Amino acid sequence: MSPDGGPMLKTTHGFAENMIDEQESKRSAMLELQHISHNYGAVKALRDVSLTAYKGEFLTILGESGSGKTTILRVISGLETATSAEVIAIEGANVAHVPAAHRNCTTVFQNYALFPHMSVQENVEYGLSVRGMPKADRAKRALEALEMVKLDGKADRRVSQLSGGERQRVALARAIVTQPAILLLDEPLGALDEKLRQQMQEELVRLHSRLGMTFVYITHSQEEALTMSDRIALMCNGEIVQIGTPEDLFDRPNSAFAAEFMGFENIFEGHLKEISDERVSVEVNGHGFHGRWSGHQAPLIGQKAFAAIRAERLKLEGAENHAEDNALKCSAGSTLYRGKYVDQHLQTEIGPMRARIWDRANRKSSISTVSWHPDDCVVTAP
Amino acid sequence: MAGAPPVSPRAAHLILNHLISMIYKIFRVSTILSADSVTWTVRVFIVLWSILVIAPLLLLLAFSFFETRSYMTVYDPSLKTWISLFESGRFEVALRTMRIAVTVTLIELILAFPFALWLAKGCKSKETKAVFLALLTIPFFLDLSSRSIVWRAILGQAGGVNTALMQLGVISEPIDWLLYSEFSVHFGMIAPYFPTMFLPIFLVISLIDDDLINASNDLGASPAQTLRRVIIPLSLPGILAGIVITLGPALAAWVEPGMLGGGFVNLLSHSIESAYTALRYPVVAALSAFVIVLLAVILVCVVLVVRRAANIENIFRQMHT
Repeated sequence: MSPDGGPMLKTTHGFAENMIDEQESKRSAMLELQHISHNYGAVKALRDVSLTAYKGEFLTILGESGSGKTTILRVISGLETATSAEVIAIEGANVAHVPAAHRNCTTVFQNYALFPHMSVQENVEYGLSVRGMPKADRAKRALEALEMVKLDGKADRRVSQLSGGERQRVALARAIVTQPAILLLDEPLGALDEKLRQQMQEELVRLHSRLGMTFVYITHSQEEALTMSDRIALMCNGEIVQIGTPEDLFDRPNSAFAAEFMGFENIFEGHLKEISDERVSVEVNGHGFHGRWSGHQAPLIGQKAFAAIRAERLKLEGAENHAEDNALKCSAGSTLYRGKYVDQHLQTEIGPMRARIWDRANRKSSISTVSWHPDDCVVTAP
Repeated sequence: MAGAPPVSPRAAHLILNHLISMIYKIFRVSTILSADSVTWTVRVFIVLWSILVIAPLLLLLAFSFFETRSYMTVYDPSLKTWISLFESGRFEVALRTMRIAVTVTLIELILAFPFALWLAKGCKSKETKAVFLALLTIPFFLDLSSRSIVWRAILGQAGGVNTALMQLGVISEPIDWLLYSEFSVHFGMIAPYFPTMFLPIFLVISLIDDDLINASNDLGASPAQTLRRVIIPLSLPGILAGIVITLGPALAAWVEPGMLGGGFVNLLSHSIESAYTALRYPVVAALSAFVIVLLAVILVCVVLVVRRAANIENIFRQMHT
């Protein structure tokens, strides 16, 4: 076994990249960012970020607040001039020095930013009327856009008469009516309640496929990112730490940060002990576990590594066990009622763990071992 | 958005809100009086306002229908005072007063709006903002006459400006219209009346969400279009407030025309003063009432002009929520 990981692992690791290479030859880039850095005073908001969005793609930029995701959007829209930017290209043309008003992209603002002194229709017509479109034409286009967001009956309303969800739709209609190449959405669903948010998610996906426009969507919610995106770029501290399909990020986080952000509840630090064709083995506090390598580079024996397991993949007594399962002795701690499921806290020799129990009827009164399948154990780089 | 929100001092915000709601009430006073939702605060306000402001005004108006004979007021209602007002050439004085007050107000608006826009949205440094706002309060501390009298030394025939220009060889003899002229009256009024125009406009522009300006920009509007379609309509409450509280005092201006007009620029305030010295109270009352009527006429004109540009009620409603 070669120390650099062997052929099999290389292919698994390179799989996503190959797929993107293939797509790249078929699809043309709509938005291209190369080596963008931006500072707010001493704060580094973006550190040498490069990013490509393809024609018609729904690209989500996912990150915590302060990770630099909104700054990227403002740099793309031109509302912020990056401290240094090699290329900001929209439809192949470098727009790094083009003012926001002349870039072929529009923004849906987080707080909607609707003009309070205008009616719904006047808001939607704004982008057309500043371009000097005749009144009849722009009214027709505005009503079409309003119909697309199911607000055609409320064209004459004042913005103050609308609910939060309706304001969001007006903001959407106002942004798409000029038919930009790229629609930039800055946490547009952040201010809506749960039910409305899910409804709007579906509508955004529908709108995206109907318009065929490139969407660049900013969110801090992994659930939103997973349900809507073609690809997700995960940001941390002004850098893109992982970019890939929702499956890539959900199943193959390339770092401990990505694993934690994508909702892995149980993450343990250890060292790589063994590397075989399909599996790696990681030693955590004297215990060895088998798992799949998903780090951002080829694994090296002895390197620091993290084992990450989702709470719902942990098996407690009574579940069907495989011979190759990882197992650990444990004692039951407190439980946390979460409605659809119950989270069971466990004490183990490698630290506290959290297991998810969906089937409450089958809850065991005594728990002494916890186990999980190697396929469900992601081993990733720091 | 990582940029800090614009500074809007809480106290200033409260004062502005109060001012706006007052103007709002004046525009909608009929609705308020007829609505079922008349609260006790509104009632108290109306009662106090009637006693302190409306009643003296009515009394003043009543006095203007009396006349004076040999330094005694004759309580016999007639239009004689009003008729003598127009026959004695005071009408011309009234027109001059109105012209000067409106001109000064317009000059203030033209100076204050760009400066307010820059200080509220263009200037990113909080320190610079604080310094400018502090400087703007200076006119409130110093006595108006001492500030005005200084200009005599600067603008006079042997004053600083003329001396400098003559020494530079730009002119061969002193310019005489610099002092004791309509020019010096206008000039002297610019600084004292600037803060009252500037502050309401500055506050109202500070309250405009930066994202509205960004959105306009993002949707393809040029800076001029953003100014005309977004910033100016949303600043109208402040502009109106600025006009009201600048124009009123400018119509009644007394110190600057007296000190810098040198008796050559006769305004209504002087007529009132001379009538008062002569104990002709009905004339004082008629002149004062006339100033108020003028102010009302000008404000109605302003409101009509603004109404053509935007729906005022909607703007106030927005500011209100």
